[in-house]
Amino acid sequence: MRGAFCWAILLPCATVATAAPRTLGFVITTWNIAAYETRFADECPLGLNPGYDELWWRGLSKPDRAKFTDNGLKSRLERYFVAIRRGPNGEDVCMNPTSVKDPPLMLVEGEKSYGMDLDGKDGVATGKSCPHQEFTGLDGTPGVDNQLYRLLGCVYGFRSYGQFEANENENRKSNGKGMTLIEVTGVDDVRNDPDVRVTIYRAVDQYTLDGSGRFLPYGSYRIDVADGKPRYSSTLRGKIVDGVLTTEPGDVNLPFYGNYTYMNRFLRDLRFRIKLADDAASAEGMAAGYLGVDQLMFYVGGLGPIQSSAPANCPSIHVAAYEIADGHPDPKTGRCTTLSSAYNFKAVAAFIVHGESQRYADGWFDRVRRFISDLRASN
Amino acid sequence: MHRGFASLLLSLSLLVLAACGGRAPKTSGAEPGARLLTEPQYRSIIADVFGSQITIGGTFDPLVRTNGLLTVGASLARVTPAGFEQFDRMARSIAAQVTDPAHRDYLIGCAPQDVARPDDRCAEQFLGRVGRFLFRRPLEREELATRVAEARRAAVELGGFYDGLAASLGGMLVSPSFLFVIDVVEPDPDARGSMRLDAYSKASRLSFFLWGTAPDEELLRAAAQGELHDRRGLERQAERLLAAPRMEAGLRAFFDDMMAFEDIARIEKDSIIYPAFSAAVASDAREQTLRTIMRVVLEENGDYRDIFTTRKTYVSGALGRIYHVPVDRPDGGWTPYEFPEHDPRAGIVTHVSFTALHSHAGRSSPTLRGRALRELLLCQKVPDPPGNVDFSKFNDPHSPARTARERLSVHALQPACAGCHKITDPVGLGMEHIDGAGQLRTAESGVAIDARGSLDGIEFADVGGIGPAMHDNPAAPACLVDRMYAYATARPTQRNERKYVKYLEREFARDDYRVPALLHKIAISDALYAVRPPVEPSPAFARNTP
Amino acid sequence: MTFLIPKAVSRRSVLRGAIGGTTVGVALPFLDAFLNDNGTALAATGAPLPLRFGTWYWGLGHTPGHAITPKTRTSAGIDFLEECKALKPHEQYLNYFGGFNMPLDGRSNYTHFSGWVASRTGSAPSSNSEIPAPTLDLLVADQIAKNTRFQTLDVTAAGIARENYSARSTNSRAAAEASPEKLYQRIFGFEFADPNKADFKPDTRMVVRKSVLSGIGEERRTLFRKLGSSDRARLDEYFTSIRQLENQLDVQLQKPAPNQACAIPVSPRRDGPEQNMPQGLEVDTVIANHRMMAQMVAMAVACNQTKVFNVVFSDNFSHMRRPGQTYTHHLLTHEETQDKELGYQPVAFWFNCRTMEGLATFIDAFKNIREGSGTLLDNMLVFAATETNYARVHSLDGVPVFTIGRAGGRIKTGLHVVGNGDPITRVGLTAMQVMGVPIDSWGTQSLRTSKTITEILA
Repeated sequence: MRGAFCWAILLPCATVATAAPRTLGFVITTWNIAAYETRFADECPLGLNPGYDELWWRGLSKPDRAKFTDNGLKSRLERYFVAIRRGPNGEDVCMNPTSVKDPPLMLVEGEKSYGMDLDGKDGVATGKSCPHQEFTGLDGTPGVDNQLYRLLGCVYGFRSYGQFEANENENRKSNGKGMTLIEVTGVDDVRNDPDVRVTIYRAVDQYTLDGSGRFLPYGSYRIDVADGKPRYSSTLRGKIVDGVLTTEPGDVNLPFYGNYTYMNRFLRDLRFRIKLADDAASAEGMAAGYLGVDQLMFYVGGLGPIQSSAPANCPSIHVAAYEIADGHPDPKTGRCTTLSSAYNFKAVAAFIVHGESQRYADGWFDRVRRFISDLRASN
Repeated sequence: MHRGFASLLLSLSLLVLAACGGRAPKTSGAEPGARLLTEPQYRSIIADVFGSQITIGGTFDPLVRTNGLLTVGASLARVTPAGFEQFDRMARSIAAQVTDPAHRDYLIGCAPQDVARPDDRCAEQFLGRVGRFLFRRPLEREELATRVAEARRAAVELGGFYDGLAASLGGMLVSPSFLFVIDVVEPDPDARGSMRLDAYSKASRLSFFLWGTAPDEELLRAAAQGELHDRRGLERQAERLLAAPRMEAGLRAFFDDMMAFEDIARIEKDSIIYPAFSAAVASDAREQTLRTIMRVVLEENGDYRDIFTTRKTYVSGALGRIYHVPVDRPDGGWTPYEFPEHDPRAGIVTHVSFTALHSHAGRSSPTLRGRALRELLLCQKVPDPPGNVDFSKFNDPHSPARTARERLSVHALQPACAGCHKITDPVGLGMEHIDGAGQLRTAESGVAIDARGSLDGIEFADVGGIGPAMHDNPAAPACLVDRMYAYATARPTQRNERKYVKYLEREFARDDYRVPALLHKIAISDALYAVRPPVEPSPAFARNTP
Repeated sequence: MTFLIPKAVSRRSVLRGAIGGTTVGVALPFLDAFLNDNGTALAATGAPLPLRFGTWYWGLGHTPGHAITPKTRTSAGIDFLEECKALKPHEQYLNYFGGFNMPLDGRSNYTHFSGWVASRTGSAPSSNSEIPAPTLDLLVADQIAKNTRFQTLDVTAAGIARENYSARSTNSRAAAEASPEKLYQRIFGFEFADPNKADFKPDTRMVVRKSVLSGIGEERRTLFRKLGSSDRARLDEYFTSIRQLENQLDVQLQKPAPNQACAIPVSPRRDGPEQNMPQGLEVDTVIANHRMMAQMVAMAVACNQTKVFNVVFSDNFSHMRRPGQTYTHHLLTHEETQDKELGYQPVAFWFNCRTMEGLATFIDAFKNIREGSGTLLDNMLVFAATETNYARVHSLDGVPVFTIGRAGGRIKTGLHVVGNGDPITRVGLTAMQVMGVPIDSWGTQSLRTSKTITEILA
């Protein structure tokens, strides 16, 4: 009998004496800002923030309103291109958020939030952080730092029905950009292991979906490599306790794509808490760390016409973001430059392919050559 | 003195015979026949003659699997009106493509004087050349003249040379000389009163056997020169075909038929129960198994029985998600993969092409798998289920069976069922760790699977034991030989050939179960080309016998 | 099988008598007085006898006790129970035949096979693939479909092209059309001659094709010199198939008579990225494909493209299934536990009900096409059968059969015919006789019969 059915747990196995550590692989399927919301927006006692369209409308005279909206017949999308350019010199206020002075952003005033305690303190100023209000976790944990949530939680577009994040996930699902791989190496025991490594890669192969559009596990994904080196390869130390993998904090480069913005997100002091399914075929978890305000505003600034379907207003967010930033003070100005944040994600098992992709850069040229020769053959 | 000498001579000759390992038993073959082209053969010929860009759309009438092969079924097949309608449609479509502006310049090889009028010279050149390949023999003068006249008539009627040519070519493509492979016999000058296949018939037999397609230029030339009637000449051609890269396509066509892969692309699995199973999985599964077999029997010229135990195979992106193994090129292409030592999946019986093909849409089937193993791989007939089966006694309404073993246990209890099910179920139940989509599992409906099984006296604990059991089962290589011979002759094996087949089985073992040696033996044998005179002598035969 | 002078049969030409209390019918030639000179039209009206014939196949029989209440004597009125209630509105077009048996004379009951082979060919098969004689639809086609575009139209909603329950012999079995689009293209594609179009020009391409095909026919003699006798028979069938195609072309070269009932249906091709209808065995797919195909076949009949057709709803092993369920219809009939209160297997029953609803849909497709003073159903006869009675035990006794349609007034409808154990071939025999096939007996061994079911003759 082969190894007493040890194959049965679908792991390559051996007896304990000759333990060979194994590797787990996952591809992230959905990624969302961890934002707690109640049905009637109790966490936003002053209501949700007005969007760019309303602020533009407020600034128009009655005749102008009729003129620019065809007596109210023009859809928000159609008038977006006019409304967004309400800067004094016709600037796109999202790309130039300081060109106008808008009402202050209404922030989240609720007490509860997803997230983790990132500063280990009570929100007072330290050499590494700025004063800020902390939340209580949903399980009662005190000291949760999540200024990103505080910032965006009352912005309609970022709420669950607001579409920005749903779009992001849908974009990634269909075009395969911004796909993140999580590789866990040195795993001796999937349930309990005091010392493992977690590495983040970017995948170049698209998701495989089944007939109903669900993610299929156990696909293979090649990693993004340039000049023989993976473009993304941040590594953190971690441990697994009762099937939950947690990591130490560290600076991590994450691939990101959403709403037509493609960027490399650099999250500082990022740590993971991932619950692994018993059969390691899937996982879900949270990542928490500090996101640079400039990175956030780069993304928000590039949102574009999608704001017409779910109100948001860049200038207000811009001002508030810098004000409530709570991490990584600028040594010169003392102002904090990052926002504490948390993200929920789900993942399915994946094979992370290293070897072949070393040649991926060359593979591109092979493909071009093949394409040209096919073109010649068909003529 | 005489007696002593005679007995010395006798014992000497016996010694010589023993050293040669015995001579091949003689056969008298079968009557000359006319068999329909199978779909893969039809497609191969069109691709050979006109190139693979010519698309063939149409349905072929289903063939009846006879002696385990569709190729043998083709020898009994008839063409229905609907079937002929499809052939006609395909023929006209092919002819239209061949003569269309995109293809005519390089496929026809000559141009008419005036595109709007017939051109007998060019038509004759093209139809004669193409006809020789399509009909697998040169056209007779009258035949060709008729076809050219047809092209002319049609060109006048339709107002164009190419339309006329297409009409005539379309007619050739539904001619019985194309659709049917017809054995033509002639008196055998080396054996008065006997018949032999004519050279072109021999060429066809050899070519369809080894390459799965019509004879090529060189083989037709050899036939024309009478070389195929000469032992050396025949060997030369057989060895040429065996050594060519085309041999792989021919051998694939054989295993495709033997493994009953014709329906594999249309396997349907429930997408809720098996979301990872897709059409790509089904077609890749066939390719995976064929590649695996080709590597063992052709590339490595190894022991045929190793196809049941080899851990080495190939996976594609789609298959990687079923087998749960990594794939180097997930977006296309094949990655060689070797299942690790402790993984029970080794050999083609564990491949998706077997386990998923012989399962239901939403679950596995030990009975279907056991039956397929017996019938396809061991050439053993499993009797059909009896009509008057009654499960009512054994259906306990209070505890529905959760695993296949529980469900099938009733088979073992009822004598009417047990007789046959003990042929299929014990081996099929041994495969239960592989579900209906070919995926590895440990439990069914929450109950751990007990996958003990047995095959003809060899017991095993799970599917990992089936490969070795098949490897050691003498019926497996014997089955290959039977199928190979039937495929080569493309008709049901006759009683007078049984001794010869047994001889081939012994030789196969002596050759360490190497397939190329078997192919060679059959290709140059007398048996492959033997013909019995038709029961009702045709007038041609009567006329030609002196 | 003996042949009388080929003429159609009608009620007037059947002598009725009583022998020992049982009704006996003996077929007589259709009296010449009723026919015009070449026997193809009723003298009085000059109108052709546009009779059509079809078969409808469903797999896995009925749920006994819940389909049709049995009777003890043949009489009007069919008592449709729960499983068959969809058929109730169509009673006036139906006849039901219960209590007929299928003696196999010691041959095995090849499950899901012997049942349909015996009832459609008149002989029990000796193996699980043998088709010992032509199926009755082909015998009818040989009689009435000499000059139609298609000799028969064979379609299947069950997605398996080889499961066609029409065959001339074991090795002569056409593939049934499993794709609605391909069916549409085949019937109503560019080769279709619309009878209601004002301008008609015989297509020169068809003239050329005819000429080419007849050239092939001439190869016959040279070819036959080379062949043995069994191969000659096979090649003969091939040449017959060529002639059938030549007939097709002949028909298409003549201007079709205007035909009010004929209207080219809309192509089933859906707009959008998924152009192809799914084929497969999910029950909703089968039901949808069946509806489309039934409508197309009905219109093909109305447009005189064919006089004989074969429709398969579910195959003999009924692989129909519901998404997410591991069981197919067939597996359910064997493994589903019988509900103690209901007295039957609930999910298998559910599939059977969908099947009978399919039959109702099929009837509707023909009922919706007006012809003359009635509908298509008035001028056709369909033999609707399955391969078993109670699928769970593969029983061959009392296998249910329906006929659908009034056969141009030649039969009565609304009857429940009781077989009293007679061979089921009586139904096929009667159907063929009604359609004008000149036979007075059919079948072999215990399935052989010459007893017409006179009770349904008008």
